[in-house]
Amino acid sequence: MLLVLALVTVGVFLIVRLVPGDPAQMVLGLKARPEQIADMHRRLGLDQPLWRQFTSFIATLLTTGDTGLSIAYNASSRALVLSRMPVSLWLIGCSAVLVVAISLPLAMTAALHKDGWVDQLVRIVPTITLGMPEFWVGLVFVLLFAVTLKIFPVGGVQPGIDGMLYSMALPSLTIALAQTPFIVRSLRTRILEVLGSDFVVTLRAAHLPERVIRRHVLRNALLPALQLYGMKISFLVGGTLVVEQVFGLPGVGSLLFNAITARDFPLIQAIAIYCALGVVLVSVVVEIAGGLIDYRVRGAAVGGRNRAAAGEWNSAAARGAL
Amino acid sequence: MLSHYSLRLRVLEHRLPHTLIAGLALLAAIVLAAIIIPAVSPYDPIAEDIPSMLQPPSFAHPFGTDQLGRDLLVRVAAAGRVDLALMVGVELLPFLIGTCAGLVAGYYGGWPDRIITLLSDALIAFPFYLLVAVVAFVTGTGITGIFLTFLIMGWIIFARTVKGATASLAGAEWVDSARVMGFSDASILFRQLLPNVLSQAVIVLVSDMVALLVAIVTLGYLGLGVRPPTPDWGTMIADGQSFLATRWWVSTLPGAAVVLVGIALALIGDGLNDMRRRA
Amino acid sequence: MKKTSTIRAIRTALTAATAAVLAISLAACSQTGGSTTSATGASASGDQTTFTYARSAAVSSLNLWTEITSNNAFAIDKIFEPLVSFDKNGKIIDWLAKSHQISDDGLTYTFTLRDGLKFSNGKNVTAEDAVFSLQQHQAEKDAALPLTADIASVTAPDEHTVEIKLNSPYTPLLAELANFSNGIVPKDFGGKSEADFFANPVGTGPFVVSKWDKSGDLTFTKNENYWQKGKPGISKLVYKLVEDGTQAVNQLKTGQVDGIEDPALENLDELENGNDTKVETAGSWVTHTFFFNTADEHFADVHVRRALAYALNRADVTKAVSFGHADTAKTVLPKAIEYSTQDSIKPVDNDLAKAKEEIAQSKYPDGFEAKILLASGNNAYSQAAQLLQSAAAKVGVKLDIDSVDIATFRSRFKAFDYQIMINSAQADYPDADSIIDFQADPDGFSKSYWTSYSNPEVTAELKKAQVTPDGDERADLYEKIQQTLADEVPYIPLYSPQIVKALRKNVNGLEVLPNNSVRFQDVTLG
Repeated sequence: MLLVLALVTVGVFLIVRLVPGDPAQMVLGLKARPEQIADMHRRLGLDQPLWRQFTSFIATLLTTGDTGLSIAYNASSRALVLSRMPVSLWLIGCSAVLVVAISLPLAMTAALHKDGWVDQLVRIVPTITLGMPEFWVGLVFVLLFAVTLKIFPVGGVQPGIDGMLYSMALPSLTIALAQTPFIVRSLRTRILEVLGSDFVVTLRAAHLPERVIRRHVLRNALLPALQLYGMKISFLVGGTLVVEQVFGLPGVGSLLFNAITARDFPLIQAIAIYCALGVVLVSVVVEIAGGLIDYRVRGAAVGGRNRAAAGEWNSAAARGAL
Repeated sequence: MLSHYSLRLRVLEHRLPHTLIAGLALLAAIVLAAIIIPAVSPYDPIAEDIPSMLQPPSFAHPFGTDQLGRDLLVRVAAAGRVDLALMVGVELLPFLIGTCAGLVAGYYGGWPDRIITLLSDALIAFPFYLLVAVVAFVTGTGITGIFLTFLIMGWIIFARTVKGATASLAGAEWVDSARVMGFSDASILFRQLLPNVLSQAVIVLVSDMVALLVAIVTLGYLGLGVRPPTPDWGTMIADGQSFLATRWWVSTLPGAAVVLVGIALALIGDGLNDMRRRA
Repeated sequence: MKKTSTIRAIRTALTAATAAVLAISLAACSQTGGSTTSATGASASGDQTTFTYARSAAVSSLNLWTEITSNNAFAIDKIFEPLVSFDKNGKIIDWLAKSHQISDDGLTYTFTLRDGLKFSNGKNVTAEDAVFSLQQHQAEKDAALPLTADIASVTAPDEHTVEIKLNSPYTPLLAELANFSNGIVPKDFGGKSEADFFANPVGTGPFVVSKWDKSGDLTFTKNENYWQKGKPGISKLVYKLVEDGTQAVNQLKTGQVDGIEDPALENLDELENGNDTKVETAGSWVTHTFFFNTADEHFADVHVRRALAYALNRADVTKAVSFGHADTAKTVLPKAIEYSTQDSIKPVDNDLAKAKEEIAQSKYPDGFEAKILLASGNNAYSQAAQLLQSAAAKVGVKLDIDSVDIATFRSRFKAFDYQIMINSAQADYPDADSIIDFQADPDGFSKSYWTSYSNPEVTAELKKAQVTPDGDERADLYEKIQQTLADEVPYIPLYSPQIVKALRKNVNGLEVLPNNSVRFQDVTLG
């Protein structure tokens, strides 16, 4: 885990300096004179050789926990990231809750009515949102629910916790719609497999109380979906840019995009490090949760295919970020 | 010893799931439209015609026209050629690399597995948009950038899927006995294991394509998509998004094309998955 | 029977999940009941005198000398004010000075301050403050809009008089002084350090900073000591960061904001005809332009440049991207700048026969291949580039569009690493020299806007125009320069968009300025 963080830190440092573009040109505007630009390079230390920049970057990071003054915003990078963090955390949190709230009932209903019309509906309808880009869904939501029906705010964040929830309704629904199809399908498939598996039959033959059997079915079905869910959330960390833009939310995603556009090296590094930290945390939490479930299911494995099935719908999780 | 079913064999053994048939039919219809419409249409997808800019759908222009007066029907179809080809082309290499990496990691475990896991973990922890942007900055926006970005990120999915599947088979008795019988590692990997895990990888491939298509569209929205004047659904949707309230057709109709492809591929994936479970 | 129990278990879970959904929707609904005003009501807090202005970039610095980008400039000009300013039409008007005089030899500028001028902290404004400000600006080595005149001295003969003496005449000086960068700050920053001062600035402007998030919103409150009595009419001004253009339009429609600084041209018809929205316009100092790298072997040939200009139909470009809110540009100077010959010049434009003649006379009668450098993410530029591409194809020139991100774009064209690019040409202050010097002087650092275009005759004329007093002689010089630039086509001016502000219908008194800024002091919300 530490190795991952180190890799990301070093990787980002090198990569942002290797791409073309100059932060001074972006901050000073189109008509900046060469002297102004040289002066700014000196102040930022960009005239130093790469290894010098790197050692001083690492030194600052280890001593202050900050990556330095943001070039574009003229403020502490860490402070900027922290000030944008709450909105992103709320967005990710609300979306995560919504995904569960939508997927679980849908998958179960479908599994219970296998091949019935409800099942067909649950299998087909989500595929429609699958092909819809988030920005487009978001725009339509804004036009429909905010501009025409005036039920929700167009965008931005309202004050207070209730205001925050109110502002998060449309954006988190937009994200949830893009993610649920994968989770629903994974869950449905698993519930069906578990219901039809030998071990459920065995448990029943052993006349175990239904309560116990139920728990086993759910746990078995949840494990792969949980891994997929964790991966989806990892991608949301720092990956909510599009939804933030469409709904005018001041989150980390749009800060990152601005930082990239302006070649704001210290800020890009700060965001990348915090996001990597977030991703690592998410995977630790998922591992622990998975471990808890797994510990209780162990000994009641459903067969070799299950583990493989876990990865099955991970596929577009990677793209889920977009 | 399990016999290694190939996808083709199973198709022969079982009745095709109706979702698969529906998906394939829909995809075939889309591909046909993309091939035929630009060939027979009187309009050029690239030539501008300013006087007829932004016309709503009509008999002459069933999908309306865009900002430069170009017929949207022929552009949506021409963009289909570009995007469908791009979708398949961009997926191919990550699929091959990821499958091989997954086989190796799953079969050998140990340090090859650790390296591949570390690499994929680091890439996932790396903010996705940063990667997208960095690649676009180096290559300029356009197809090369899209190709590279998804090469860097795309293999992970296949590697993880195939690794899981391979690992669960590698411990099986028949693999052990194959080893005892003197089969080489390469032979076990590619002759024995690969055919067994391939079906899963293919299912992932199909569902990943939808996500890829949506990703390419989103790049267009961010201004990092296919270069003009090449017609592309993403750029068309992005160019039209500011007209959504007033001239809905400019972005909605290309958007509908993406949704249709999404449905077709999802149905195919669903059908393939059904087949795998039945087998 | 066994199965039904499992089903029951699943149902229990289902009920739990449904309850969760309900809880969330309830939370959302109760909220809906509570604060519908913020979604539909007038302005943000219901306070009738708050004006919320949607802007696409945050304010990162308020240092009037080192900043130039519009996100900062148009916050700075609400806090600091110069001696002279300009009106809606770009005409110079007295501002903190009640009058000004220029000596006949053009060497002495005398300004008389208004009576009763106060800084926002209540202290009186004296000529010493003005002298300090201008000297501080001259001394600033990172000045973004430096005073380019050869200034001998800036003095305060008395408490109300400021005198600037020059070593040689320089006609654009008065217009340069109208820049926000020549605003007046208290002498010695009122005893603070420069950094502390600009973190919490004190000026004569109508507004005072009250809350400032460098990556978000900036809130101003009204300056109680403002010299224009009874103004400003609003008590609070919020610069709200709304990065996405469509989002801003929708916030305006629902009243979450009262105005948009940079509405996209394609949204204007919708906002003009909206029930609750309107637009205000002014002429601009901007011309969107194709630039040729004349150091490139192909575009060094004047016939090639003329061929492309003749092949292109600029009116089409204007029509495709401006939705009726731009003038097709015929010359390098926009119409809102004095001495523009927009109405009389003969441009090289839209004549395919002549385009073919020109290419035949060039070194490349059979055409060639080249690239248009384009900053990605700008829809209008992308459309314009596609139109040039098809125009060029008609004379056998195959153009590819090389679309790169904005930072790469800047680095590349500033390193002369391009063949054709599209960019905006903008005057900083209302004088023809602001554009001509930047775009036609090969000795300046911009090397004729990175075209490397050089014509000694033009250079001599533009230098002469800098020292010629305003009048017919100066007009003649600029007429000649504009015609030469039109004939030799180092760039193709495409269109000058109007400055447009989108507003709620109840907003009155907003003054739109040609540099894309606005004045809020007369604003009232009806």
